[in-house]
Amino acid sequence: MSSTKQYKSIGDDLWKSRTDKINAELFTMAYGSLVVQLIQDYEDYAEVNKQLEKMGYNIGIRLIEDFLARSSLGKCADFREVGEVVAKVGFKSFLNITPIVHHHPAPTPAGGVGPSTTTPRSSLLPSQNAAAQAQTHSMPGASFVLTIDENPLAEFVELPDTALPTTAPEGSTAGAPNQTGLWYSNILCGVLRGALEMVQMQCEVVFLSDTLRGDETTEIRVKLVRYLEEEVPVGDD
Amino acid sequence: MSGKGFKMRAVAYISPQNFPMLVKSFGTKESEELKYHYIAHTSLDVIEERINADPKATECFLGLLYVLEDVCVYGYITPTRVKIVLAMDQVDDFLKDSDVILLFKALHTAYHDTLCNPFLHQPLSQGLRTEDIAQMMGRGDKWKGLRRRLDRIAAAAEKHAIAAQ
Repeated sequence: MSSTKQYKSIGDDLWKSRTDKINAELFTMAYGSLVVQLIQDYEDYAEVNKQLEKMGYNIGIRLIEDFLARSSLGKCADFREVGEVVAKVGFKSFLNITPIVHHHPAPTPAGGVGPSTTTPRSSLLPSQNAAAQAQTHSMPGASFVLTIDENPLAEFVELPDTALPTTAPEGSTAGAPNQTGLWYSNILCGVLRGALEMVQMQCEVVFLSDTLRGDETTEIRVKLVRYLEEEVPVGDD
Repeated sequence: MSGKGFKMRAVAYISPQNFPMLVKSFGTKESEELKYHYIAHTSLDVIEERINADPKATECFLGLLYVLEDVCVYGYITPTRVKIVLAMDQVDDFLKDSDVILLFKALHTAYHDTLCNPFLHQPLSQGLRTEDIAQMMGRGDKWKGLRRRLDRIAAAAEKHAIAAQ
């Protein structure tokens, strides 16, 4: 667990050494006006979610450069480490919050007996076991869930009732565009997706729950879809 | 009424254009709510008096405005000219000004926190429209957040009073 402490202290240092910080209220209010304006423009919460994610993506592909330059961290060994770095260094250095991470290794292919964290395989040496675990943590399908307890974007925000998800049991009726409701902080999903894509990981990032909607926690799941191969530009021989 | 009480009876928020934004009463029956609307309106006159008497004053707290039947009415004006009127149960020994100022700071903060919600439609600057009247009475959901915060403040004030005995 020493690497965890390392990441924590790196994150703390980065936050403290950052000289250009923004007033939290200004940030929260700017984001709030942005969301309200989007809602007025699009009038469809699903579309607003999409737009927020797109905006986040554009931020993420640029933010990763800043992050890597300041933190000068090397490549992560596996996806589990990615989760740790994102939570303890990434979120900490930009938003001064540290979400809790829960890792979920990739589901094992059918028929195979994959290494599970609950049944210790005493026949393997510890190092081999760790390597096997690391492998499932790096396989596409691995994911981690970030639990945010204090979201600076959403301070003092109260969603209107129309923005909450509708619990329509039947299929979507005409004129019911609000199946999933508004994910207020969806820009964060885009940022994570964009940043991870720039380091060769294609991920699916979605919100699982949000305290603004009345859920108990605010959770984001980041799932690894695949590693992106370096593409040789056309024209090279 | 035993001992000191910080029993808040009602709070009224009045816009800079003198339109009541919200009149919230605590623990009263619907038939008695009208009394607090009346109190809010009559307080306006006294507030105008106090403001005009000393236009240079930067003090937010306006002090005890008047006493009516069994309630003491205190006034407060925010830098944005929003007026907060607080009606409290009358007690034998007068409440210290500093305590009332503390209460008003909490009420002001509650209002400010509610304003930070980006989904709050802007407080009325034009005339009082019919839809706003329902909101002012506390029937609608525009001020839901503010009403919730006010309930918490009232509960905390009462608990404080009991602890102080």
